[in-house]
Amino acid sequence: MLTDKGLKSGSNKPERVSAYSCGLNRRAFLRQTGAGAMLLGLLGAKPGVVVAADKVEAETVSSEEDFSFHAQAVIEAVQMQLFPDDGDGPSARDLNAFRYLTWALEDPDNKADGDKVFILQGVGWLEELAKSTQGSSFIKLGASEQDAVLKQISKSSAGENWLSLLLYYLLESLTLDPVYGGNTDGIGWQWLEHQPGFPRPVEGKTYLDFSSVNLNEK
Amino acid sequence: MKSSKQFDICIVGSGAGAGPIAYELARAGFKVGVLEKGKWFKEEDFFKDEQLARHSVFRSQFKDERHTLEEPNGDGSWSSDTTSQFWGGNIVGGATNFMSAYFHRLKPQDFRLVSEYGAIKGANNVDWPISYDELEPYYAKVEQVVGVSGKVVNHPQLEPRSTKDFPFPPTAEHPVAQRFDIACKSLKLHPLPMARGILSIPFNGRLSCEYSGYCGNYGCHSGAKASSRAALLDSAVKTGHCEIVTQAKVYRLNTDESGNITSADYFDLADGDSSKRVTAKLFVVACYSIESARLLLSSTGVKHPNGIGNRYQQVGKNLHCCAGGTGHGVFKMDKLKELEAKQLKVRGPFFNRALQDWYEIDDSAVSGKPIKGGTLDFVFDPPSPTGATSSLKWQGDNLLWGTPLKQKIKSHFTQSKDFKFEVFCDWLTNDECYVSLDTQEKDRWGQNVAKVRAGFHPHDEKVAQYLVDRGVEVMKAMGAHKSWGNVFTQPTSNLVAGGCRFGDDPKTSVLDKNCRVHDCDNLYVTDGSFMPNGGSVTPTFTIYANAFRVADKMLERMRADVSLIS
Repeated sequence: MLTDKGLKSGSNKPERVSAYSCGLNRRAFLRQTGAGAMLLGLLGAKPGVVVAADKVEAETVSSEEDFSFHAQAVIEAVQMQLFPDDGDGPSARDLNAFRYLTWALEDPDNKADGDKVFILQGVGWLEELAKSTQGSSFIKLGASEQDAVLKQISKSSAGENWLSLLLYYLLESLTLDPVYGGNTDGIGWQWLEHQPGFPRPVEGKTYLDFSSVNLNEK
Repeated sequence: MKSSKQFDICIVGSGAGAGPIAYELARAGFKVGVLEKGKWFKEEDFFKDEQLARHSVFRSQFKDERHTLEEPNGDGSWSSDTTSQFWGGNIVGGATNFMSAYFHRLKPQDFRLVSEYGAIKGANNVDWPISYDELEPYYAKVEQVVGVSGKVVNHPQLEPRSTKDFPFPPTAEHPVAQRFDIACKSLKLHPLPMARGILSIPFNGRLSCEYSGYCGNYGCHSGAKASSRAALLDSAVKTGHCEIVTQAKVYRLNTDESGNITSADYFDLADGDSSKRVTAKLFVVACYSIESARLLLSSTGVKHPNGIGNRYQQVGKNLHCCAGGTGHGVFKMDKLKELEAKQLKVRGPFFNRALQDWYEIDDSAVSGKPIKGGTLDFVFDPPSPTGATSSLKWQGDNLLWGTPLKQKIKSHFTQSKDFKFEVFCDWLTNDECYVSLDTQEKDRWGQNVAKVRAGFHPHDEKVAQYLVDRGVEVMKAMGAHKSWGNVFTQPTSNLVAGGCRFGDDPKTSVLDKNCRVHDCDNLYVTDGSFMPNGGSVTPTFTIYANAFRVADKMLERMRADVSLIS
């Protein structure tokens, strides 16, 4: 099999995918999307975000802060905008996307990337913006107002990164094996008519188990 | 440091270049030690779990060790970055655990590129010190011992064979293969069933293919895939004469005043990275071209001040990848009859088709005289739904979400089917493609990492473009609703060879014709490093065959020299 590294075929920015498959981590991927390059332009507009992103870049994050009920409600609301219950296919809630997110954020690599802190800081920023432009918390807004807020933050590169990161995890909960907590009972696969391989991973044999177990004595 | 282990033959690495040596010498009763830096996983560990590859569970971690990669920017300058892309599988069996196992032989002209096609300016082509005929019996041996499934079809580019057909019948075929055959015949081409290093029927304790549709970079759950581990090392261990030492990262070969290897030092990763030593009579290095060159360069000694085998600065030189490209044919389900759509959506069996009509290109549009061409393999990529989905959130430069995103994903999965071809042609060796030691970048153990400079010859692009265009024509003839192809010049990180090429002249080669280092009597290099050129196919089959050939040479030597017998 040839690795597709660097191919510029198609229209879906495959270099972002291939960057992942050829071993660059998502940190580098985030940089490619412009977080580093375009932060400068944000300096005046969103100082809070610049600080947040700076922290992520510097890998100095050590927060063990958890999602408050409020932060959870905001993230779940954002996820429902990103992957709504629109009558065709599972919604974020059907996919158990929030639970999957909280699980995935504890992955050692994702932790090292500072994703959880970035997502929590983004919640604060989103709330600030919702209150200043719409006069209310994001969770109390109607669907179209929520969408307007998301559209607004997507115009900044840090905001776009934040949404992109949430989508990254959300889409993982659509197609990864249910053993990882999303894709409840394979609901995502069924919708996409996707046939999983066999044998499928089981509890105790997930990638995290392989990474930690010492098989030398086998 | 204590000397912990003693063998007749010590092999560094456990992939395609190592397995045949361990298998043959252990069966002959010699005491074989295999040093592998990774762990030992078995069939029951290979779940079809996308996360295993996404998190590099079976590969070296970037934070521990990496490579420096220099690539041309196209304006005369070079980029330089660290990468983990060259770690193809760092467990017992190496990257053969994660190969697709397209098993094409090289052809006679690949052994004599200069004699057949003349020199190319700026390329370092040479004829091989052995002929196709000398390697042929070992191709036949690999087909039987390692297990190759296929069907020989007569065609103009068919290489000579000593056996009439493959020992194992072809693996099951996807319905698209029929569509392919019809299209090729309309174009007056010769569609070939592709031989695979995958068992179609059970053999030697290994099960046959389960057709889950998750092959390639997924490890094999049935043992059907002809990994060095499943096909050779398991048998070698069963003889009682082969020990596989896992988590043993070899970092130095020690030499005496005569220049011969006395021992290998390794870090025991299961014992706090403590340094340990292995002694043996003969040593074999087979840990993937880049790392093999790195080990030789790192192993300086009284007789080898610039690294073993490097008195003429040949170690690491003439590295090559696979030049070529990829192409796609997309079929839209709503434009097909119901049965056709249903057939194309089947997952499990293989596409298994190849074209070698242009292995030699004789077309005045490209060149006034015949030039070496290559192979087109028509294949399925191993499914990676999460990888495929993650790019769909982008629409141009903008992020997509909500119902439009859902519909785009649904359409991607259910409304079309993408078939792929891969083009393999020679990555011409040249002075700008080589391995050296990076004196700045160190691995977790404080050792210099390998630096790969990956310059390519413009001739490769010309050949690759010609072949990619032919592949797109085939996709169109198959009725694809959308088709395109791309030539690439980036290194194919999973298909690197050369770096210690073999030859008769020590000034232009590292190994002699038996793959023994010219100026180190008891050291052999048996991975893909020996290849002066890669042929226009994936090299694994040839690496297996050559390692079996070298094993015979080593056996002859061991039996003739009583001092080598314990």
